[in-house]
Amino acid sequence: MAEEEQNASAEKLKEKANNYFKDKDYENAIKYYTEALELNPSNAIYYSNRSLAYLRTECYGYALVDATRALELDKNYIKGYYRRATSNMALGKFKAALKDYETVVRVRPNDKDAKMKYQECNKIVKQKAFERAIASDELKRSVVDSLDIENMSNNLYLITIDAIEDDYAGPKLEDGKVTLKFMKDLMAWFKDQKKLHRKCAYQMLVQVKEVLSKLPSLVEITLKETEKITICGDTHGQYYDLLNIFELNGLPSITNPYLFNGDFVDRGSFSLEVILTLFGFKLLYPEHFYLLRGNHETDNMNQMYGFEGEVKAKYTAQMFQLFSEVFQWLPLAQCINNKVLVMHGGLFSEDGVTLEDIRKIDRNRQPPDSGPMCDLLWSDPQPQDGRSVSKRGVSCQFGPDVTERFLEQNKLQYIVRSHEVKAEGYEVTHSGKCITVFSAPNYCDQMGNKGAYIHLRGSDLKPEFHQFTAVPHPNVKPMAYANSLMQLGMM
Amino acid sequence: MASKQPFTDSDTADEAVRATCDDASTCKRFATSKGYWTDLYAQYFVRQIGERKAPEINRGYYGRVRGMNLLIDAFLKKTQCDCQVVNLGAGLDTTFWRLKDENIMPKKFFEVDFPMIVARKIHHIKTKPPLSKPLIETHSTDSLLLDGHSLDSDRYCIIGADLRDLPALEEKLKKFQINPELPTLFLSECVLVYMTPEKSSKLLNWVADTFPTAMFINYEQVNMNDRFGQIMIENLQRRQCNLAGVDVCQSLDSQKERFLSAGWESVNALDMMTVYSMLPWEDVARIERLEFLDEKELLHQLLQHYCICWAVKDKLSLGLSQIGF
Repeated sequence: MAEEEQNASAEKLKEKANNYFKDKDYENAIKYYTEALELNPSNAIYYSNRSLAYLRTECYGYALVDATRALELDKNYIKGYYRRATSNMALGKFKAALKDYETVVRVRPNDKDAKMKYQECNKIVKQKAFERAIASDELKRSVVDSLDIENMSNNLYLITIDAIEDDYAGPKLEDGKVTLKFMKDLMAWFKDQKKLHRKCAYQMLVQVKEVLSKLPSLVEITLKETEKITICGDTHGQYYDLLNIFELNGLPSITNPYLFNGDFVDRGSFSLEVILTLFGFKLLYPEHFYLLRGNHETDNMNQMYGFEGEVKAKYTAQMFQLFSEVFQWLPLAQCINNKVLVMHGGLFSEDGVTLEDIRKIDRNRQPPDSGPMCDLLWSDPQPQDGRSVSKRGVSCQFGPDVTERFLEQNKLQYIVRSHEVKAEGYEVTHSGKCITVFSAPNYCDQMGNKGAYIHLRGSDLKPEFHQFTAVPHPNVKPMAYANSLMQLGMM
Repeated sequence: MASKQPFTDSDTADEAVRATCDDASTCKRFATSKGYWTDLYAQYFVRQIGERKAPEINRGYYGRVRGMNLLIDAFLKKTQCDCQVVNLGAGLDTTFWRLKDENIMPKKFFEVDFPMIVARKIHHIKTKPPLSKPLIETHSTDSLLLDGHSLDSDRYCIIGADLRDLPALEEKLKKFQINPELPTLFLSECVLVYMTPEKSSKLLNWVADTFPTAMFINYEQVNMNDRFGQIMIENLQRRQCNLAGVDVCQSLDSQKERFLSAGWESVNALDMMTVYSMLPWEDVARIERLEFLDEKELLHQLLQHYCICWAVKDKLSLGLSQIGF
């Protein structure tokens, strides 16, 4: 009979497909399962097998469709439930996957693998429910609260070893504190591309979080006549260029204060080294070393542009979570001698914002989509008067008149900001009232720009610009994506 | 300033050039997987989606692919497909398959690249039905003409050759029935820059001499005299990749001049910043929403250092010089 013959041919095609599958030639496996189905469209096994082949080629949508069809044809086909559960897991539909695993466990109570998959899936579903429940910022339980650094082995989150191993030869905090010796050892250790022990990193982060959380959102400092400060712009994980800044301009100290104006991480390959060095100096000289938040000290940016990937690769996801919390406490602006205001992005989408308004910003959060906190991290100056929609799609662009009005209302002389790469490392606009400083030379190994930093003396508060060029660095690719050195665009 | 080192080992140089084929194909594969444009065939040449590329790279490739396709399609339309296309240094390009799907195939589509690349491409075509089916469907006999370094069918032909050896190239094209009297579109994307200006000039001259009705579309670097250009040259030298023809990439004018002095009647050139701004804005808005770009300047620099240049010879007076953006 025709049907028998057809089914026999279909079986042969399925065997062929199975062989291709064994050889990991999933495209051909799919092709032949498909041909088998053309001859025998009511065979659940064919759908189930093709579903698995689709899973292997990451076509999760197709895999789900096939698994569902298999079960429609035969609701007792256990493999079908597995396939559908796996497809749903891949699509992030954990609750749906859990249902199917439940079914399998019920039908096969002695199947260890089924039980394990069910438990794993259940854990994820519970975790997601937990995350949703604590989603609001106030309720979010800090990683810090749950860390017990001295007894790390008891800590639920940390699974591996606790005490610093005997064979760790790197820098250690002295009595749990950062010292100048520690910083010098740390910088040399990092230069050699070595890793700081997890325990030290955690300790530093916990301490920095403590220090930063006590600061107001607007930090105010006074430079005496004889004092000076160096203001640096974006550094973006360019650790070797940061070392060069310290070479050229001296290490931070009580007599050599620094202000780093955000965007310490992302894009560059050594974000961890940069941020840990900067945090170290913050702990060492809390009253003479300042850090402001940039738009890249946020979860969205870190996820896309490398920092999250770098932390996860070199340490753990939990460490990144802690960084995220610490970033949230970075102040948003700094006022020097009541005359010079420094922030990463720029001024505001609306007139009338005062220094008091900035002081009052509740900053321990991810920046909102709009408003003063967003503007401080995201806006850009423009040459023409007025305001425009930002090219970035966030915040605004503000003209010289906006700057003028803001400075006048708040009795300031000028603003210093960063956020935009400049060929010369800095740019003076708005008739000297808006200065941009950018300290990542040859940005992304491509732009060929100079970096710059600003010297500000308490005596006259006149900005003095110093430029520098990029120094060589080890050929390590940024964690976010393929090495930019190698991909240069359209080859 | 970077010194342009003379090349002593041409095998290394050629190998480095061949490697750029993978840069292009993996970048295109990644960008299409993210939805920047549709290419149903890229997956058959590059199996894995691979590592992420930066958003500015994806947008840059988008501009390139859209820009080139606009001109290609305009040529096909102008000649009502009564023409040929020759893709020089085609790499793993999928245009032939796109044109087949869209029903705007030329009379014959030729691809030329180094024998090693061509051998790889033929292997993919032979072993992947989605690639071979369109060839077989458009072929009059049962079997395709195949050897290690070439594949010939009625509508598609791929040839292994060295673009610096013009007599051999001409012989192979003629062997596979190229018709110099038919309007012919020549394409080269980041190809001429790897040849010395003398060699590329000879190539452009030969095309102009041999094909009286033709268009040549060249995509490659431009404005290379500045810092960004220098850094690019240095970065490439680090991977033994020498931009032997970079002198012609100084400006849009130098890119145009190379055609005019090679016997082409008229020429146009736009940098990719301009091309990007002329693409259908709704689709540009769509792709710009796919991934957030944190620093626009990175994209701008990239776009300003690449250009599309298209030159025309129009013996048949088809109005080819009207083709543009």
